[in-house]
Amino acid sequence: MENILSLLEGFATALQPQYLIFGFLGVLVGTAVGVLPGIGPAMTVALLLPLTYTLDPTAALITFAGIYYGGMYGGSTTSILLNTPGESASIVTALEGNKMAKLGRGAAALATAAIGSFVAGTIATIGLTLLAPIIAKWAVQLAPADYVALMVVAFITVGALLGSSVWRGLTSLGIGLFLGLIGTEILSGQQRYTFGLLPLADGIDIVLVAVGLFAVGETFYVASRMRHGPIALVPVTRGWRSWMTKDDWRRSWKPWLRGTAIGFPIGTIPAGGADVATFLSYASEKKLSKRKEQFGRGAIEGVAGPEAANNAAAAGVLVPLLTLGLPTTATAAIILSAFQSYGIQPGPQLFTNQPALVWALIASLYIGNVMLLVLNLPLVGIWVKLLQIPRPYLYAGILTFAALGAYAVNFSIVDIVILLFIGIVGYFLRRYGYPIAPLVIGMILGPMAEAQLRRALQLSQGDLGALFTRPFAAICYLALIVIIGLGVWLRHRQSRLERTLAAAAAANTSLSAAVNQAWDAGDRPTDIRTSDIRVQPPLEETPRARGSRRRDDDRP
Amino acid sequence: MSTPSAGASGISPARPATGDEPVGTTAPRSNLGELIFAGLALALGIFVFAGAFAIRLPGAGTQVGPRVFPFLVGTILIVSAAAVLVGVLRGRLADVEEGEDVDAHAKTDWITLAKITVFVAAHIALIEVIGWPFAAAVLFGGVAWSLGAKRWWAALLIGLALGLVVYVLFGGVLGLSLPSGPLLTWLEPLLRSLRG
Repeated sequence: MENILSLLEGFATALQPQYLIFGFLGVLVGTAVGVLPGIGPAMTVALLLPLTYTLDPTAALITFAGIYYGGMYGGSTTSILLNTPGESASIVTALEGNKMAKLGRGAAALATAAIGSFVAGTIATIGLTLLAPIIAKWAVQLAPADYVALMVVAFITVGALLGSSVWRGLTSLGIGLFLGLIGTEILSGQQRYTFGLLPLADGIDIVLVAVGLFAVGETFYVASRMRHGPIALVPVTRGWRSWMTKDDWRRSWKPWLRGTAIGFPIGTIPAGGADVATFLSYASEKKLSKRKEQFGRGAIEGVAGPEAANNAAAAGVLVPLLTLGLPTTATAAIILSAFQSYGIQPGPQLFTNQPALVWALIASLYIGNVMLLVLNLPLVGIWVKLLQIPRPYLYAGILTFAALGAYAVNFSIVDIVILLFIGIVGYFLRRYGYPIAPLVIGMILGPMAEAQLRRALQLSQGDLGALFTRPFAAICYLALIVIIGLGVWLRHRQSRLERTLAAAAAANTSLSAAVNQAWDAGDRPTDIRTSDIRVQPPLEETPRARGSRRRDDDRP
Repeated sequence: MSTPSAGASGISPARPATGDEPVGTTAPRSNLGELIFAGLALALGIFVFAGAFAIRLPGAGTQVGPRVFPFLVGTILIVSAAAVLVGVLRGRLADVEEGEDVDAHAKTDWITLAKITVFVAAHIALIEVIGWPFAAAVLFGGVAWSLGAKRWWAALLIGLALGLVVYVLFGGVLGLSLPSGPLLTWLEPLLRSLRG
C-alpha cells in the first residue's frame, strides 16, 4: 500500500512540467539513437553524462531512463526497414520484420513492434514497481560475500556467455577490470597503475572509455569497411490508419504477453541481456505457432514476441540495477555510473534513502512508455527520414559529438587524446571479435567487486570458504553452474539459427536470391516450378491412369 | 534451394560454392593481427600481475591487501589471452562483426582510417587556436570527406553550422563555454548575458 502512495508521489514529481520536458527529450533522443545505426543508448548516455552535471539528479536520471527505453523502441524500426543485416540483438526482429516490410506489410510490422513494446514496457514496469521494493527490503540482509557471488555471476555471464567467443569475452572483461584498477586505491590511499601520471590519479573517466569504445571505435570500424552506395530502405506503403488488421491484432496479443513473460525474468537475473530474451521468445513463438511455415517469411508473431521480450528485459534489467546496484548490460553500467557521479549509490538503501528520486524515476518510465507509443506510431515517418541521412555525414556527426563529449568532461584537450587512443583500441577489439560490453561492465563493477571481496574476507578473517558458505552465495554459485549449462545449450541453438541466417544472406548473392528479393515465398515463379517438379514423377509413373484433362492443365 | 525453408534446415549442402561465401570462408585472412592483439593482451596481463608486487602493503591488520584484486585481474587476463592465442594458432579466427553499415566482405580501408585519425588529431591541435566551432567544422568536414561525401565544401559548411549551434547552445543554455577562438571573442559577453 505504501508503495502505491510512493508511486503516486513519484507521478506528482514526474508530471511536473520541467521533468516532463526532460523525459520527452530523453525518449526523443533515445528513439533517434535507437534508429540511427552506429550509436546506441550506452554511448548516448555516456556522451550526455558531462552535460547533465548542471542538472539536478532527478532530471538527469529521468532523461537517461528515457534514452534507455527510447533506444529499445527505435532499434526495431531500423531492423524492420533497413535492408542490411544488423547487430545480433535485433537480428530476430529483422528476420521476420524485414520480410514483412518487403511483402508490403511494413506498417503492420512497425505497429506490432511499437504496440508490443508499449504493452511489454508497461507490464514490465508494473513488475518493476511491485518487485523492486520487495527485493530491496530483502537485499538489506545480504552480506559482502553474497555481493561477491552476485558479481561473479554477472562477470561470468556477461563476459563468457553473451559474446561469440568465451575467451575473447573474458579477455575483454579483464581489460575492463584493469582499467577499473587504475587510480587511487581507497583504503591505503596509494596509486595503482598510474605510471606516476597526474591525470590518471583519479582513474580514467568512464565517459571517455564508453564514448571511445562505442562511438569512436564503431566509427573507425565502419569506416574501415563501409557499405557504399545508396541506403537500401524498404519502402513502407502509405495508409498509416490501417496499421494492423483485426487478424494482426488477434495474432499479436498473445506473443506480446508471452514475450513479456519471457523477457522480464531474464532481464532481472544477472544472466540478462535482451539478446537471450528475444531469441527465446522467437523460438517459443515458432514452436507454438499454428503457421510454422510462415516463420522466416514474415510471420507477425516473430516480430511481436521478440520485440515485447526485448522491452520487458530492458525494464527487468532495472530491477537488479536499482535494488542491488548490479548492472547486467553496458547501458545499465553507464546509468549506474551516472548515479555514482551524483553521489548516489544504487542498492538496497536506495529506496529508503532516496525514495523521491527512485519513485519519480519509476513513474517517468510509465510516462515515457506512453510518449514512446505516440512517437513511434504516428510519427514513424520522421524516423524513417532519419535513416536516410547519408552515412558520411552521420559518422562525421557521431565523431564530432564524441570529441565534444570527451572535451566537456574537464575541458581539457588531453581527454580527446585519450578518447582517440581508446577509440583505436576499440577498433581493434571490434575487428578481432572482442565484445565491448564486458569491458564496460568490468570497469564499472570491478572496483565495487574489489571492495566487497575485501570486506567479505575481512569479516571472515581471511577464510576463503566463507565466500561460499552463506546460503545465498551458495545458491548463486549453483545457479551459475546451471546458467553455464543452459548457456552452452542456448549458444548451440543460437549459433544454429545464426548459421541459417548467414546461409540465407549468402544465398542473396546468387541468382536465385535475386528472385527471392523480388518476390517473396509462395509468390515467386520459381516456387511454382519446384512444386510442379514434385508432382511430376507420379505423373510419369502412371500417366495413363490420369485423365487427359489433368494433363492439359499441367501444360504451360 | 531457392526457398528460404531450404536455408532454414541448415547450410544447404546442395548450394553450389559461389565464392561469395559468408564470413570465415572468404579469402584466407591473415591471423597476424589477431596474434599481435592477443599477445598484447597477454603482455598486459603479465604487466598487471608483475605490477601488483610494486603495490605497497599497508601493514598488519588487513586480511586482504590492495594486491589481491590486481593478482586476480592479471590471472584472468593471462589465462584468457593465452587461450585466445592458442585458439588463433589453431585456426579459430574471430567472427567478423556485422552492422547495418558494414560490408563484411570488404577489405580493410587503412587509408580512410588514417585520414580520419589525422582529422581528429587536427581537431585536437586546433581547438584552442581557432576556437571550438571552427575546429569542429574541420573535424566534421574532414571525416565526411574521408568517408566519401561528394561535396567537401558542403560538409565543411554543415560542420561549421553544427559547431556554431553547439557553441551557442553550450554557452547560452548549459553555461559551459567552449573556446571561442580569435574570431568569435565578441560573442562571449553576449552569451554570458543570455544566461543572465
